[in-house]
Amino acid sequence: MLTNLHAIIFTNRSNYESNLNELTAVRSMSSVPYGGRYRLIDFMLSNMTNAGIADVGLVLQENYQSLLDHVESGKDWDLARKRGGLRLLPPFSQKPGSGNPRGRVEALANLGSYVADIKQEYILLADGDVAINIDLHKVFDAHIASGADITPVVTSKYTGEPQCTVYYVAKEDGQYDIVHGPDEPVGQEDLNIYIMSKDFLLKQVKEAATHSNFYSMIKHVLLPNASKLKICPYVFEGYASRITSVASYFKRSMELLEPAVLADLFTPERPIFSKDRTDASTYYSPESRVTNSIVSDGCIIEGVVENSILFRNVKIGKGCVVKNCVLMKDVEVGENTALNYVIADKSVSISANSTLGGAESYPLLLGKGSKV
Amino acid sequence: MKKECVAMLLAGGQGSRLYALTQNVAKPAVPFGGKYRIIDFPLSNCVNSGVDTVGVLTQYQPLELNVYLGNGEPWDLDRANGGLHSLAPYTLAGDAGSWYKGTANAIYQNIGFIDQYDPEYVFVLSGDNISKMDYREMLAIHKERNAAATISVLTVTMEEAKRFGIMNVRDDDSIYEFEEKPAHPKSNLASMGVYCFTWSKLRKYLVEDEADPNSSNDFGKNIIPNMLNAGETMMVYRFNGYWKDVGTINSLWDANMDILDPEGDLSVYDQKWPLWARNPIRPPHLIQEHASINHSFISSGCIIDGDIQNSIISDSVEVGHGAIVRYSVVMPGAKILPGATVEYAILAEDVVIGAGAHVGSDQVYDDPNKKVAVVGKGVEIAPGAEIEAGAMLYPEKKGGDK
Repeated sequence: MLTNLHAIIFTNRSNYESNLNELTAVRSMSSVPYGGRYRLIDFMLSNMTNAGIADVGLVLQENYQSLLDHVESGKDWDLARKRGGLRLLPPFSQKPGSGNPRGRVEALANLGSYVADIKQEYILLADGDVAINIDLHKVFDAHIASGADITPVVTSKYTGEPQCTVYYVAKEDGQYDIVHGPDEPVGQEDLNIYIMSKDFLLKQVKEAATHSNFYSMIKHVLLPNASKLKICPYVFEGYASRITSVASYFKRSMELLEPAVLADLFTPERPIFSKDRTDASTYYSPESRVTNSIVSDGCIIEGVVENSILFRNVKIGKGCVVKNCVLMKDVEVGENTALNYVIADKSVSISANSTLGGAESYPLLLGKGSKV
Repeated sequence: MKKECVAMLLAGGQGSRLYALTQNVAKPAVPFGGKYRIIDFPLSNCVNSGVDTVGVLTQYQPLELNVYLGNGEPWDLDRANGGLHSLAPYTLAGDAGSWYKGTANAIYQNIGFIDQYDPEYVFVLSGDNISKMDYREMLAIHKERNAAATISVLTVTMEEAKRFGIMNVRDDDSIYEFEEKPAHPKSNLASMGVYCFTWSKLRKYLVEDEADPNSSNDFGKNIIPNMLNAGETMMVYRFNGYWKDVGTINSLWDANMDILDPEGDLSVYDQKWPLWARNPIRPPHLIQEHASINHSFISSGCIIDGDIQNSIISDSVEVGHGAIVRYSVVMPGAKILPGATVEYAILAEDVVIGAGAHVGSDQVYDDPNKKVAVVGKGVEIAPGAEIEAGAMLYPEKKGGDK
C-alpha cells in the first residue's frame, strides 16, 4: 500500500497526438483504444490501483469527453472513494485565462493550490498514454533507497520517436547526461514516469507560477540541473508501449499477438482493469476460421480472421477474409469483404462485397463511425 | 420508501441433482453460458422489467453466492432506495427462528423486509430457471383481473404434464384447481415457479400458513391451494418464450447448448434484453496458430490452440495444441492440456485435464438419457487417463473447506 504517494496522471501530455490523425481527433491520447478492450489510460490507472495508491489526480486539457465517459467515477479501478480516490482536474478548475499549458509544471501551477494541498510526502507524475504494467512499489522503494531528488522510470527497449524523447546516459561519476531529442536513441529512454518529493515538486510549481518562461519538467527542471540534482533512473525491464503514429499504433497492437508480450502486459498478479460492460462471449460460427488473433467478448465471427485484433462486439460476416487488421468496438464487416492492413475505429461499418487494404508501414485508417 | 413491486428470489436450494457441481456452492451460483451464473437470468429479468428492489433468499452454501452478488452493482441494483439484499435465515429472541422450512416460510421470515417498501405487489421467483421473461406482462394481467395471485405457466405436452405442477383453468384463464404431478392431467399448463401476488393478500396467507403446524410451508403445496380454497381470484400468465429448469446435469447441459444459438430465444446478443453479470476483467482471448473453432462460445482471458466444436468456453480457460473439446461446457479457469479430448462433458472451475487424457465419449445429441461426464471444481485428471461417459468426479476437498 503506497499510502504516502500521490499520483498525478497527465492525459494530454503527448508530443505525438497530432501524428495519430483521426484516432485522436475524437479523443485524447490517453483515451485511444488499445489491446482489444482497453483504453491507454487503463494501464496507468491499474498500476495505481495495484500499488495501493489511493489518491489519483487526472489532469485533463482538451478533447476529454471520451475519457470522462470511460473513467466516470473511477469505480472500475476501485478509485471511487469516500476519502481520496480519483480526482478529475479539468481546465476550468485551473487558473482563469491560462489556456493550454506548455508543460507539466505549468499544468500543475494552473491547478492553484492542488499540489500544495496534497497530504502525501511523495508524488508520482505519469503520462496516461503508456501501455505498461509496472510494479510501482519497486520504483518507490528505489526512490527512497537512493535518496534521489527525482527517480525517472527508463527502459532500454526504445518505444518513442527519438526527436521527441529524453534519454539518460550514465557517466563515470554516477551522474547522468540527459539528452533531449537526439537523432538516434542513446542510453536509457525516459518513460515519463517520475517520483519525487512533494517539496521538490512544489518548489518547481511555485517557480512556474512566478516565471512565465518556466513551464517544462524536461526543459526547465531536468535539463538545466542534470549535474546539480540527484537523478537515479529506475530501469524497467518489462514491456512498455507508446503510440507515436498510426504505423506505430499498428505495430504496437500486433506485438500483443506474441504470447510473451501478452503475458507480461496482463500478468494475473497485477490485473489491468477497465470499464466493465458485461458483454457476452464471442460466437464462432461453423463457417469461421480464426488463427493468431486477439478477440474480445461480444463478437460474432462468421468469416476468416488472421493476425488481427478484434475489440468488443465486432461482427464479421460470412465469406469475409480479415487479415492484419485492428477492428475497434462495434465495427461491422458485411459479407464477402476482404480487409488487409486496416485499422477501423469504433462503430465503423464496412459494406458487403468490398475490398479494402493498406500496407504494413501505412495501414488504412477508417475514422470513428464512418461507413465504407 | 414505497415501491410498487418487490421481487423475492428463492436462491437457497441445494440443487442436489447437480451432484459434483453443487458440492460447495448453491445452485443459483453455478456458472452458465460462458459469462453468467444461473441467478443472472432472474436478476436480469428483474432489472429489465423495471424491478429495482430484490431480496435474494439464501440458505445452502451461501458464501460464493453472496460474494458474487456483492452490493448488486453489476445488475445496477446498488440503490439508495431498494436495490439487492441477500436475506439469510436468522434467529429471534428466546431461541426462536429457524432455517427456512419451505419456500413460503422463507418469504414469511422476511415479511419485515418486504413491509419496509409497503409494496402493492410481490414477485416470488425461482433462482434456478433459465428464461428471459418480462415480469411486466404478468403484472399487467394481474392488475387487469384484480387477481390475488398470477402464476406464470408453460404449455407442455400431456405426457410432460405428469412431471409438473399443473394449473387447471376456466375459459377466462382463471385457475380453479392446482394439481402436483397428476397421473391423469386435465390440462397442460405447467407452473414455472414464477408468481405475482398482491402483497396484502399474500401476507395474510403467509401468516395463516405459519400458524398451521401441519403445513410444509411451501407455495405449491400450501399457499396456492389455500388461496384457491378461499376463492381468491387466481390467474395464469401464459409464457411463450424459452424456459428451462436446470435442476439436472442433462438439463443444465441442454440449456447451455441452447444458449449457443445466436439467433435463438436465449440469444446473448439481444440488445433489447441484455443479460447482466459480474465478470472478472480479463484481457481478450488469444486464438493461436493451430486453433479451429466451430459453433462455440469463447470468453475473455482464454488461450486457445486446440479444436473446439459445439462448446461453451468460459473465461480464463486454456486449450492446448491438439486438444479437442466437443459438445462440452467448460467453466472458468479450466485447463485442457495438449492432446486431451473432452466430449459431452461439463468441466467445473479450475479443472485440469492432463495431456492426452480422454473425458467422456460421443453421445446422441438429442437423447434425453445421454451420459454427460462431470468433473468437479479443481479436480486434476492425470495425463492419459480415461474418464468414462457420465462419470461424476467430485471436487477435491482442501484443508479448511467443509
